[in-house]
Amino acid sequence: MTMRGAIGQVFAFFFALGRKSGRARTFALLGLIPVALAVVVRIVLRGREGDIAAVFSEILMVFFLQIYIVVLSLFYGTSVTAEEVENRTLSYLLTRPVAKTAIVLGKYAAYAALMFAMTAIGLTASFFLLNTARLGDPALYVTFLKSLGVLGLGILAYTAFFAFLGTVLKRAIILGLVFGFGWETVIQYFPGSTQKFSIVHYLKSLLPYRPVTGGGGRGVALLLFRLEPTPPLLAAIALVVIAAVFLALACGIFRAKEFLPED
Amino acid sequence: MSAVISARNLSKYYGNVLGLSEISLDIGTGITGLLGPNGAGKSTFMKLATGQLKPALGAVTVFGARPWNAPGLFRRIGFCPEPDAFYEDMTGLEFLTGLLRFYGFPKREIGDRAARALDIVELTKDKDRLIRGYSRGMRQRVKFAQAIAHDPELIILDEPLSGLDPLGKRKLIKLIKGYRDEGRTILVSSHVLPEIEALTSEVVLIHQGRVLAQGDVPYIRELIEGHPHQISVRSSDPRALAGRFIGDASISRMSFEPDGRTLVVETRNRDAFFDGLTAAVPESGLTVEEISSPDDNLQAVFEYLVGK
Repeated sequence: MTMRGAIGQVFAFFFALGRKSGRARTFALLGLIPVALAVVVRIVLRGREGDIAAVFSEILMVFFLQIYIVVLSLFYGTSVTAEEVENRTLSYLLTRPVAKTAIVLGKYAAYAALMFAMTAIGLTASFFLLNTARLGDPALYVTFLKSLGVLGLGILAYTAFFAFLGTVLKRAIILGLVFGFGWETVIQYFPGSTQKFSIVHYLKSLLPYRPVTGGGGRGVALLLFRLEPTPPLLAAIALVVIAAVFLALACGIFRAKEFLPED
Repeated sequence: MSAVISARNLSKYYGNVLGLSEISLDIGTGITGLLGPNGAGKSTFMKLATGQLKPALGAVTVFGARPWNAPGLFRRIGFCPEPDAFYEDMTGLEFLTGLLRFYGFPKREIGDRAARALDIVELTKDKDRLIRGYSRGMRQRVKFAQAIAHDPELIILDEPLSGLDPLGKRKLIKLIKGYRDEGRTILVSSHVLPEIEALTSEVVLIHQGRVLAQGDVPYIRELIEGHPHQISVRSSDPRALAGRFIGDASISRMSFEPDGRTLVVETRNRDAFFDGLTAAVPESGLTVEEISSPDDNLQAVFEYLVGK
């Protein structure tokens, strides 16, 4: 079997398995919180379409970008290799005619696809619920697709980083939490190029919103506070490179490392 | 004929803990039993042979190739691990078909192979139940099924009889022998001598990471039987009973337990001692309340062999 074929088979195995898991149900439900919020907002702010639309960009996007995909990527990413060791199922994979690299890449892809599906459902429902006044505006759909794309790239980059962490460390979740909710939160408010040492900087640089300067209108103050954006193309390339580098590291370490039983 | 599995000065350490020490052995076609107490190094050897661990020193080859990072070898190898661990959210059928996908078989063939393997281990009617709902015995059987579903030439089984009831053990033993008759190579580990005896005549005795003995079962039994046995007999008058055996040459030592009712005998000929006891009890009118053998276990046997 070719490497591509092997990755495909591993993807199919773990996508099917992941879809059925209790963890997927829990995270899928979590992704519906913005939808519930959107319904409440529509009822409470009835008739104030401008305010309703702003709720998405100022609140819900924060939830998706800085909480939801980080949590998803942390738990799924660190699990790419670590859960096989913890659950003692690694021997089923290592004793098949499948390269270790294919195992990492296939499982990463399966989990990324699952996370994207969960995110897309919540994002789509909440976005369109809060933008019903603009459904005839083509620009709305461009904004929607860009938002989805940003979250997709975020999932790829974060999951690759956490997959690397999970391959290197036994208790990667703790360091992952520090990174995801400590470093990523704090560093983006540092001036100058220090911001570039975070994944969220590049994600925010890609967002289809811009802060409103001067009078009138409402900006995305919370989301883009102190952002010194990187040009979008460079930001997208940076995210792809981050994902590729950490995936390559994860594959290399998984290939070389022995995973000893806890006992 | 060249060996299927060949180890030369194979050693493995877990930090400061010895896993295996300078093991050299060849395993050919047929069934070879790896016998040793828990922690002896059986699983370590199997994990080295299946490329899950790297040797610290020495080498192991399977079909002439080193198994570390050699996924192509696993078309020819089936492995049944010891831990009771599964993808619990899968059904038995999903588990088998999922793993069979990794061999590149066509879709229809995957279904056929999975069905055949489940039929062999008598799990056909439970194939659509989640593994988390399986009994211990069923879990062991589905684990065996995933090891044989792709028709490997070499089958490595780590404690395959663990968790099975006596009937289940008999069936699995018969299955394994069937694979031997087809010309396959099977390496099976256990810490229970009768299990290994029921499977094969070729045994490798392993203890504390070293091969203590290798040979056929009668040879191993002789080694084991040759060690002095301790037998405890609780009776109404242990001293009177002891008096009956004072002149018996097969008895090397006698002592009394602190409870004052138990005679402990050390003998190199268990059968002769029991014959004597059977004769002595009715003649003397003594009552025997309990007979036990404190060292009648593999650990004691190995300690004896290590001390030899």
